[in-house]
Amino acid sequence: MTLIEKKLQLWEQQGFITGDQYETILSFEQGEKQNNNWWLYSLLILGSAIIGLGIISLIAANWVQIPDSLKLGADFSLLILLATAIFWYQSHYKKVVADILITAFIILCLASIGLIAQVYHINGRWYHAIMLWSVISLPIVLFARHLMVHFLWVSLFINAAVWSSVDLAGGNLRNAMRELPAVLLLAPLLSASLYLLARRVALLHKTSSSFFFWFQISALIALIAIDIMRSGGETQTFDWHWYLPAWLTAALLIGLIALRRAYKPLNKALLTAAILLLVLYYAPSILFTGQTRYTFSALDAVARASLWSADDIRAPALTILILFLYAIHAGNSGYHRTFNLITFLIGLRFVILYFQAMGGLAATGVGLILSGLMIIGIAWFWYSSRDRFQNWSKELSL
Amino acid sequence: MKNPQLRLATALLFPIVVLAANTWMYQQQRQAGETFKFPIEGFDPRDMLSGHYLFYKVDYGISSEYGCPTSDIAASLCLRPEKRVYPTDERPTTCEVYLQGECDANTVFTAGLDRFYIPQAYAAQLESDIAQKKGEIEVSVDKRGNAAILDLLIAGKPWKEAVQD
Repeated sequence: MTLIEKKLQLWEQQGFITGDQYETILSFEQGEKQNNNWWLYSLLILGSAIIGLGIISLIAANWVQIPDSLKLGADFSLLILLATAIFWYQSHYKKVVADILITAFIILCLASIGLIAQVYHINGRWYHAIMLWSVISLPIVLFARHLMVHFLWVSLFINAAVWSSVDLAGGNLRNAMRELPAVLLLAPLLSASLYLLARRVALLHKTSSSFFFWFQISALIALIAIDIMRSGGETQTFDWHWYLPAWLTAALLIGLIALRRAYKPLNKALLTAAILLLVLYYAPSILFTGQTRYTFSALDAVARASLWSADDIRAPALTILILFLYAIHAGNSGYHRTFNLITFLIGLRFVILYFQAMGGLAATGVGLILSGLMIIGIAWFWYSSRDRFQNWSKELSL
Repeated sequence: MKNPQLRLATALLFPIVVLAANTWMYQQQRQAGETFKFPIEGFDPRDMLSGHYLFYKVDYGISSEYGCPTSDIAASLCLRPEKRVYPTDERPTTCEVYLQGECDANTVFTAGLDRFYIPQAYAAQLESDIAQKKGEIEVSVDKRGNAAILDLLIAGKPWKEAVQD
């Protein structure tokens, strides 16, 4: 007996639901369970397609005896065969099979780009190949019903678009590590902009949840990375050309937020402030010196850093402020899970800040007791006040 | 396009047509151009092999006074009548055959010809031959300065023949 069946039986015994309602809910849940097999099918086809990709790659690279024309001919024949099968299944309303075939077709398109590059010895960047793939595969991806297909497309596209934009603005990427901060800043801004655009254009609506997923992941990575860099006093090579796509995208995003009717004026102000602060965080010389650190200032009696001018104090303060602004937006909009996660992260950053500032204290017995009490205190404060905080954010309006 | 079946057919044909056009374009580039040979060598003999391809440095035979300036610019390497690098917008009309590329800050000219895909089984042998400076690439250059690699030559022979010896 499944958990839902046990629950339903208990509710029926307690008189919360009738026997008919029990049956209706159970049959609905079983139907949902059958739909969940989609994931299994999708993963199976994705796995099979990747194995196929590996086989094509191995043959292309190792089977010297096969003439190039035959390799390309076999590849195009397979593409045409798959296209015909998709057309047939889509026309006969076998949507599940059609979606699986669409996944295989778009992966084969990517493999074909690789094969052409290999046969003609094309010296290109990986993100240019994926950008080409994104453009040619988008029309057929829009025919797919299952989110897995959209998620696959969005995941590859967002990576290629971010790297290509920084490459274009910077004039050919030479050392990916130097440009990485610009890439990290652009990723959440572009994902959020494309999410809002996808919400506005009915044709792209199905891609919106995937863009939102990548916005949340990349925003978190961007915030953690820049916090570590600024707190740790990392030296950063800064060329404004690399950041141009991020700044332009930030302007576009602020415009899209301002035009979005679903957001209240307060949410628009909160999100705009968070975006501007994130952009400011990535500019190395406006708020940060790259040298002043409170953690080590006690060792240098001559050049003691004040609490508010130190990079390793400003960085967490900025992180917490950005998280706080987004938490109010999430609470105000009724996104409970996001609100809980963000407020938890604020608490976690406070704990890390405590260890950054009082690291030496943790080496002593009394210090460890104080640190433990501090963690318990923050956890208790977070747990007991999050509901009040969310209610307060909901009541806010401009 | 209101007919959904027509839209579906277009969406399916679009990638196939683009990929076929791409292939045709590269094939034309190979067939239509003039053939040149350039010696190649490794940047570092220990680090020439990267996955399924060889990564090498092409020796275009440019004398130092006609080479690249010390800046990142789009450049053209004139191959005839005089082998000389020009900024792309300053290439003289007297230049009969040229190669489109770019100069980097280290005064190195590159034209995207520094990668050759090879089967794994022959990787070590080819890597060793190139390290001994026996390697050349055969390139086809068209009238617009686009270049396509035709073959990898080892001691003057196509690599497929050379590995059989």
